[in-house]
Amino acid sequence: MKKYIAIVTAALLVSTIWTSCRKPEEDVDIPDPDNEVITTVRLEAVNAADTTDKVTAEWRDLTPNDGNPDLSKANMTLKKDAVYNVSLTFLDETKTPAGDITEEVRDRANYHLVCYAPATGLNLGVVRTDKDNNTPQMELGLQSKFTTGAVSTGNLQVALHHQPSGKNGTDCSIGSTDAEVNFAITVQ
Amino acid sequence: MHMQDIGIAPCLLFIHLYKPTIIVAHIILAMAMFIMFVGDAQRCTAQSCNFRISGVVTDDQRHPLIGAIIRLETDSAKGDVTDTGGRFSIHRVCPGHTLLTCRADGFSTGVAHMHITGNSTIRFSLNADKNQLAEVVVNGVRLQDIHSLSQVELRGLERFQASGKTLGDAIKALPGLNAIQTGPTISKPMIHGLHSSRVLILNNGIRQEGQQWGSEHAPEIDPFVANRISVVKGAASVRYGADAIGGVVLLEPDPLPVAKGMSGNVYLIGQSNGRMGTASATVQGRTGEHGIAWRVQGTAKQGGNFSTPHYYLKNTAMREQNFSAQAGYKYKGLDVAAYYSMYHTRNGIFEGSHAGNITDLYAAIARERPVTASVFSYDIARSYQDIRHELAKVGATYHFANEGKLEMNAARQDDIRQEYDVSLPYTKDPTLLSKPQVSFQLMTHSAELVYTTPSRNGLSGNMGMAGNTQGNVFKGIRYLVPNFRTYSGGVFAIERYNTGKLTFEAGARYDHRWQRVYQRNASTLQTYHTTLTFSNPTGTVGAIYRATDKLSFTANAGTAWRAPSVNELYIHGVHFSDASYQDGDSTLKAERSLNTGITVAYNSKKLRATADVYRNHIGNYIYETPQLQPVTLLSGTFPAFRFTQDNVTISGVDASLQYDFARHFTLQSRATIVRGYNNTADAWLIYMPADRYENGIVFNLHELRFMEEPYISVENVSTLRQTRVPQGLDYAAPPAGYSIFNASAGFTTHIRKKKMMVDVTVANMTNTRYRDYLDKFRYYADNIGINFIVKTRFSF
Repeated sequence: MKKYIAIVTAALLVSTIWTSCRKPEEDVDIPDPDNEVITTVRLEAVNAADTTDKVTAEWRDLTPNDGNPDLSKANMTLKKDAVYNVSLTFLDETKTPAGDITEEVRDRANYHLVCYAPATGLNLGVVRTDKDNNTPQMELGLQSKFTTGAVSTGNLQVALHHQPSGKNGTDCSIGSTDAEVNFAITVQ
Repeated sequence: MHMQDIGIAPCLLFIHLYKPTIIVAHIILAMAMFIMFVGDAQRCTAQSCNFRISGVVTDDQRHPLIGAIIRLETDSAKGDVTDTGGRFSIHRVCPGHTLLTCRADGFSTGVAHMHITGNSTIRFSLNADKNQLAEVVVNGVRLQDIHSLSQVELRGLERFQASGKTLGDAIKALPGLNAIQTGPTISKPMIHGLHSSRVLILNNGIRQEGQQWGSEHAPEIDPFVANRISVVKGAASVRYGADAIGGVVLLEPDPLPVAKGMSGNVYLIGQSNGRMGTASATVQGRTGEHGIAWRVQGTAKQGGNFSTPHYYLKNTAMREQNFSAQAGYKYKGLDVAAYYSMYHTRNGIFEGSHAGNITDLYAAIARERPVTASVFSYDIARSYQDIRHELAKVGATYHFANEGKLEMNAARQDDIRQEYDVSLPYTKDPTLLSKPQVSFQLMTHSAELVYTTPSRNGLSGNMGMAGNTQGNVFKGIRYLVPNFRTYSGGVFAIERYNTGKLTFEAGARYDHRWQRVYQRNASTLQTYHTTLTFSNPTGTVGAIYRATDKLSFTANAGTAWRAPSVNELYIHGVHFSDASYQDGDSTLKAERSLNTGITVAYNSKKLRATADVYRNHIGNYIYETPQLQPVTLLSGTFPAFRFTQDNVTISGVDASLQYDFARHFTLQSRATIVRGYNNTADAWLIYMPADRYENGIVFNLHELRFMEEPYISVENVSTLRQTRVPQGLDYAAPPAGYSIFNASAGFTTHIRKKKMMVDVTVANMTNTRYRDYLDKFRYYADNIGINFIVKTRFSF
């Protein structure tokens, strides 16, 4: 008899626990609208000799997780033997109006470094022209100077490195990479 | 085999059931016990009684007591008197519940309740003060529910030396076990080459449910909650349900105290590397002979940056706080118990291990040492993980008059895991900056009902049913895995037949699992769900042949299964710890394994040796396979992996040996050899442990001045280079083999009759630089260097 009482009690307890559970998993988290994701890397180059000569290139991926970027504007044509002042912008275009992430990079300038790596064969020299707020100040790279040489084509890799420690303003291998994209550059 | 605090409750029940008219409790009690024992004795003769209980009796200063009388109260014809060394031996003991008493003139009486399932040893330490309790240490083989599976346990000194370590670290020295690590603070148990969701952990009888799928997700358990840590190697799904493909790690607290009064212990542990300190205290008692037994336990642990032989590992500090409480009450044949434990840890993740993309990862691998020189610090910066785990359990056991018992338990677990990345999110919202990038909350409710049949004519066994439901809620700034709800249930039965030298065992189980996954469409933001169900029968057959008192053979063949985990089904995106782009496959089927194993054990006075040989065939083994095309994201290029399944075979040998080759000297050797092969792809399996050999010598005295049982030991741990690896699956070649030396010395002493244990260990004595294949940090940094560890345990 006792055996049965025990079994029945146990079964009741089990079923009580079973039915008393909440189901919070049915409410799937919505992406936080205040969180910004970099969807677009934009280069704007202004010819130092002729400020009306402006060119723009954009590397864009509006669905940032699927590996299917829009590269239609990820190219730029520059004049040979010229000097350009270039500014770099990071945008979140999943929102309207687009969020400007460049500001936040600048706010945390001391922990960021932008690196430019022209492919061999591309006659392009890049120097960073802006500085962070470290003491002494170190390069940042949101502003830069492009110097072109003879006619050539090739990729320019632009990378935003997050360097929470160890930043020295030159070493690009430190830290983790927040953005790393390639632009097809034509010097003609 | 533990002291089981069954006490006299069954006897009261006995009276209640069979002699209800008699009132004079004491006399009746004695009579009832006598009747019960005679009954037991009669039953024993009918079945095979072929076990041995041996041991030693000492006074509280560890001097052997000569002429102490040991009686097997449950079989009054048996007993022994201790010899000049305080030793005794009782043969032909029947399996099942056994009550042993030990009496010596002028000393307190020792009482031990044991559940005999094999040869056992016991040590009585009697107190000259009759009001003080005798100390009883049972060191038997208490087999877990599937007897024919290979089982190992941390015992005696090994258990003490393991205190303060993480669970993975504590058991990795056992033969057949390894630990898969993410640096010095995160380690997971690996049994026969399998880990994470293929190894089940039972904490106080409850399946540990956390985010077990990742190799950097360590089990959320404070090993101080359990004095007994044992491991069942092999397919154990029949008893424990899904996931027990590699085996089961069991943590069990000591039984609650049976006697009135208070007792407890305090552990204080300090180590030089990481300047880590651990304090753990337990207080327990019983309000009266028929009162409530209780225990309260707490642990606090803090460590700073660990150091390799040449540099500190930046941001490897950790903090941990744990608490547990339990209470038990007996009424007649009914035991009720409640248990609660809380675990909280925060672990810094080594700064040199962050990789935003594959370029970063290769740069980190190429570096001789981490970029940033570090110093010692207890600070934890981003990135870190913060983990909380709560377990609440209620249980009841009813002991029937026929020695059968019905156990019931229900438990609730709440597991919260939060990961904070090194990079802050890009946002203008300050509250978002303090949020974790990834957070999971897994809530599990479970219940189990098990009936253990009484031993009759050599037959014994148990049967039961178990069920659980889980809800997992994912929140995060970056997507990782979807939410889900599961309902799982299973029924099982295991039966054993014991004939003299042979035991046969067979068991079967059926499990069903229903899983619904909730996701949100990224563009329409509509929630949708997908439902999967899995049904699996499992079985086990085994035999134990005790050829002689010393030599036994065990063989088992069993099946186990595991449903694909939610990340294997649905992960889609960058997995930062690997800098890889992972894609789940929602069509994956359940893994099914067939495991066969043979164990040979030899136990003589001077030589104790065990060898396990096993072969585990796993069908539909789930693993990541590289894709031809890397994935281009804005943050760079990532190698792409997709979860897929193949048929694999893991086989190996575990061997251990202890040989008392001279007076006071013992040789200890262990070998762990594992081979994993993908039969479908015709390639070796990744992350299989490299061959490991451990050899040591222990020098042990009986007594030296104030020290009781002082010892000095030196051991060498040698791990070979893993050469059997698949091509193109790893970012770096396996590291070179290594050989390190560890030394320990310690003793037991009594200060004002209170027992104190001390152990001093020097790990990696030569401060050797090495990297271990199973440590994820091998890509970035060396393993930790020399470490001085002092452990003390004070009992009161």
